[in-house]
Amino acid sequence: MKHKAPLAISCALGIGFAASGVHAAAPDLDAAKALVAEHSVLPNFTPPGAPFDAHACMAGKKILTMPVSSANPFTKNIAIAMTGVAKQIGFEVKEWENQARPTQWVQGMEYAINNKFDAVDLLGGVNPAVLGPQIAEAKKAGIKVFTSHLYDTIQTPDPSVTLSMRVPYHEVGALLASWVTMKTGGHVNAVIVGSDEIIPTAPFVKGITDTLTKICGPDCKFTYINAPVPEWSTKIQSGVQSALITDPTINYVIPIYDSMSQFVVPALTITGRKGKVKIATFNGTPFVIDMIQKGDVEMDIGESLGWIARSILDGYMRDMCGLKTYTTLYVPFYIFDSSNAKNAGTPADYDRGYGDNHVSGYNTLWELK
Amino acid sequence: MSQSPTQTTVAKTVTRRPFNLARFLESYALVAALILLGAVFGAIRPEAFLSWANISTMLGSQSVLVVVTMALIIPLTAGDFDLSVASMLTLSSMIIAVLNAQMGISLPVAMLVALLAGALTGLINAWFILYFRIPSLIVTLGTGTFINGVVLWISGSMTISGLDDALTDWVVVRRIFGIPLAFYYAVALCAAIWYFFEYTTPGRRLLFVGRGREVARLSGIRVDRVRLFSLVTSGVLSAGAGIMYAGTIGAADPLSGLTFMLPGFAAAFLGATSISPGRFNAWGSLVAVYFLVIGITGLTILGIQTFVQNLFYGGGLVLAVALSQLVRNREAQDFT
Repeated sequence: MKHKAPLAISCALGIGFAASGVHAAAPDLDAAKALVAEHSVLPNFTPPGAPFDAHACMAGKKILTMPVSSANPFTKNIAIAMTGVAKQIGFEVKEWENQARPTQWVQGMEYAINNKFDAVDLLGGVNPAVLGPQIAEAKKAGIKVFTSHLYDTIQTPDPSVTLSMRVPYHEVGALLASWVTMKTGGHVNAVIVGSDEIIPTAPFVKGITDTLTKICGPDCKFTYINAPVPEWSTKIQSGVQSALITDPTINYVIPIYDSMSQFVVPALTITGRKGKVKIATFNGTPFVIDMIQKGDVEMDIGESLGWIARSILDGYMRDMCGLKTYTTLYVPFYIFDSSNAKNAGTPADYDRGYGDNHVSGYNTLWELK
Repeated sequence: MSQSPTQTTVAKTVTRRPFNLARFLESYALVAALILLGAVFGAIRPEAFLSWANISTMLGSQSVLVVVTMALIIPLTAGDFDLSVASMLTLSSMIIAVLNAQMGISLPVAMLVALLAGALTGLINAWFILYFRIPSLIVTLGTGTFINGVVLWISGSMTISGLDDALTDWVVVRRIFGIPLAFYYAVALCAAIWYFFEYTTPGRRLLFVGRGREVARLSGIRVDRVRLFSLVTSGVLSAGAGIMYAGTIGAADPLSGLTFMLPGFAAAFLGATSISPGRFNAWGSLVAVYFLVIGITGLTILGIQTFVQNLFYGGGLVLAVALSQLVRNREAQDFT
């Protein structure tokens, strides 16, 4: 993907930078508050398409879902939820257990071909670009290859896949930017932490910075730190520490994936900025919601894993049944902060705190009895 | 026991070495490089780099790496590699998180269990290495991978937070002269290991074993016992590093601790070029850790791209060891 904005180029290169560009004359706090309020109420289920008899059209079909890693609790739990929901509908979803090794993904594709699966789901980070020959072979064997929770809706998926269920990460970025704008009254000085090698990072970060540029006042600025995933433990803490020491007026750290927070908190502690510098983040990972309950993290935007699993299956089933499908995952983003973090449980659980509208909603949509 | 004047004179004659400029320069080249590096970054960004906040942060935040390096240099001195140190660190922090945060067991008990797990890992490593005569590289690679599986198993692949605040307090929150206590623990450990190597009989035996096992055996040293001790100590120190790591981040996650292995080895080998060149040594390792930390922090403050940090880590290590070899006329190394 090519980036045109200087900002995005900086992100891709991993260079720290200060915000430039044209700011609004004054912060648009109303717009920030409106967006935050929209995502602070429990999500309601709105059917994403026309109802259909899922049991009848999926009978006898089977999908192999391949999470980016079975050791990654986020994707693992989506795979588990998908398996359970498929069983309830009456078809098979099997998880291909792996530990994020591309050679294991290749094996998974071959397993799907040899065992005549109808579709393969590359879930949450398996990059189809590293499976080119296997995807071509699978398609030749009549197997559909899908990706889920990988691309942003403004990114073009790899052309080799049949369907991609994408996530509007840039909207999450806008929501994070609105939160910090609202909380600081338009005086944001933020450090954004991302991992450039993760496919949706660029649009995600762009969503934050574009929104800050648009709605935050001229007093707002930000810097960016790139920390590749294998080096989170060494680069995030040191990078944030250096940023805080270089600029004592920083008031927010935005680690765009919430598991980064565990390395941000010690940076705040060691530099003596804990409590003065807040953390706002995304993913709804349970231990980070626990950190909200403890006061270490201010907010975390979460997604219900059960909802994600159902939305992925809904999109796939529509495609496999010859119905009109969609390419954006229907997953509401919900803000956890100190006011509602306890609803996720103590300690927090992956799928608690979001309500259960989606369960009955999808059952009705799929005409399950 | 009293010594006669003659004996004392002989001892002094034997131990006194003539001043060797080349050796002196080699011993303190890394210290000079550390000061030079600090001066360069300080000249470029004095307000950020030379601030006490930055200095105390640098000293406090890398103490875990110092302890990992100490855990490595003991078996390295005895001629054994321990590739399971980072895995043991991760297991130790996870044991504390599971016992303390999830099961509500008190922190001292959780820490004791973690240290015992470290000792047990050292014993298992030693048993396979010494009884089956398998190279330490292979055994510790295997046990390290096994431990990684155990960590994923007991944690459910999840990061666990909610540790007793006392641990964080005693590692990074409490300070002396603005520097977190973790730094003082690391320095105390360095001093203890230096004393052990320089002034105790078991420490000298460890050096002999590392220099030549057969010669040490023929000299009456129980080589296997010395190697067993070094591997168990390494396991316990790795577990100690895990406790400090859990105290630093206030949580335990199943993967991030593994990233300490390569920087730990880099610091150990780089440290072997300094203070007591040609020998793994505590103070040299400490200097090496902070040489690397000053470089990385300076580059970060200057906003240099991430990959340059890796160039610095890797390039700095190879260059320093190569220069040290040049000074010593490229004599053969014992490392394999």
